[in-house]
Amino acid sequence: MLRNTRARWGALSQLFHWLIAALIAVQVVLGLTGVALPLGMAKLATLARHKSLGITILGLALLRLGWRAVNPTPALPGNLRPHERRLARLTHAVLYALLIALPLTGWMMSSARGFPVSWFNLVQLPNLLSRSVPLYHTLVRVHVALAITLGAVLTLHIAAAIKHHFVLRDDILRRMLPGAPPRPMGTLPSAKE
Amino acid sequence: MTASRLVRLMIPCLALPGIALAHAAATGPVYTLIAAHSTLTYTFIQAGAANQGRFKVFTARFDPGAKMLTVVIDMRSFDSGDAQRNGLLGGRDFFDVAQFPQARFTSTQLRRTVGGYVATGALRLRGVTRTIAVPFSWRVIDSGGRQVGLLDGTTVLKRLDFGVGQGQWRATEWLGNAVTVRFALRMTAAAR
Ligand code: HEM
Ligand code: HEM
Repeated sequence: MLRNTRARWGALSQLFHWLIAALIAVQVVLGLTGVALPLGMAKLATLARHKSLGITILGLALLRLGWRAVNPTPALPGNLRPHERRLARLTHAVLYALLIALPLTGWMMSSARGFPVSWFNLVQLPNLLSRSVPLYHTLVRVHVALAITLGAVLTLHIAAAIKHHFVLRDDILRRMLPGAPPRPMGTLPSAKE
Repeated sequence: MTASRLVRLMIPCLALPGIALAHAAATGPVYTLIAAHSTLTYTFIQAGAANQGRFKVFTARFDPGAKMLTVVIDMRSFDSGDAQRNGLLGGRDFFDVAQFPQARFTSTQLRRTVGGYVATGALRLRGVTRTIAVPFSWRVIDSGGRQVGLLDGTTVLKRLDFGVGQGQWRATEWLGNAVTVRFALRMTAAAR
């Protein structure tokens, strides 16, 4: 099923989730490699790919949020305590915010540096800011701080997914994975279906 | 300014009969640059996006009568808009301004076109001389009783023809070979 239900993520939501997760991994490698390379053609190419992929992630994140708005969101399992629910919602909100803010600050810092951004050598994007070296330096710091925040929040996010699957043994991970429909929410694996 | 250039600039002024014959059409004013109101920019494609820079110091002389256009560029005066990139472009792999501080275009032929001219001549850049064709429009306007010439045009060069980009920078996938040079020159009429 393409659409979400109250019990499970639909195929399109799953595709968005795992595609973006994979692209984020590539994106971080490109960013770290690009920064480490000496000034040269390889650095230019690596950072250009980083920018193109970052803009792709921005587009996918916006589409994903749009799709989320017109779909039911699967309910969190009943065995979660209120503060756990709040933490889960907060984590997801921060992840969405970072999926927008990271590419935007990247685009802004390239604009401030006076290096226009292109999307895979196909379309040149407009500059978001006029040239300013101090602003560029500030935005680099913000971009890097956001990337570190993403790393921290993702650690929590992935740890929670592992805990749900292997310790709590609920369907949180399963309902984000393609395959057989999960058991009804809040049912322990030992319980009869 | 080299001696040969000085001589060339002076030739039309000399009233020697032979030279007057050779420059039979050399009448009317000669135009020189009003530097403060003239621009010379270059644009290249880096990773799919257009990047522009400019030359701040250059001179130009246009003699429609003698069919001569001369432009001399101080290569040290370029500005790419980014300090780090200025260091790279001025260095040995690109303009190598320490060794080649000057670029020069001298026309050898001037052909009239609709609304302007095409100047064909030698461009010497980074120690390499190549023949290029430079189309431009030409208008003379009256500016407060003064004759002002407006010379505008665009020409596309291949940077590798002139060795602009050595070693790893010879690759053109991320740094295009084509460089668009745009000029908008404001010139004032001077007596011959
Ligand atoms: C989800 C999207 C993005 C993520 C996760 C991300 C992450 C990163 C990371 C981890 C670095 C290395 C930081 C360091 O170690 O100094 C980096 C650097 C960089 N990013 Fe991004 N980035 C994203 C989007 C973008 C976009 C869209 C652009 C530009 C359009 C961009 C432009 C840059 C640039 C130019 C650098 C190098 C900074 C420098 O010169 O120090 N990024 N990014
Ligand atoms: C190995 C890596 C990952 C695992 C195991 C994982 C697991 C999950 C699971 C199981 C859910 C479903 C939560 C629920 O049903 O309520 C989820 C949701 C979510 N994940 Fe991940 N995830 C991973 C990576 C990522 C990455 C890299 C991002 C983005 C940067 C991300 C962003 C999100 C967001 C925003 C949600 C909330 C969905 C919504 O409520 O609309 N995840 N993740």
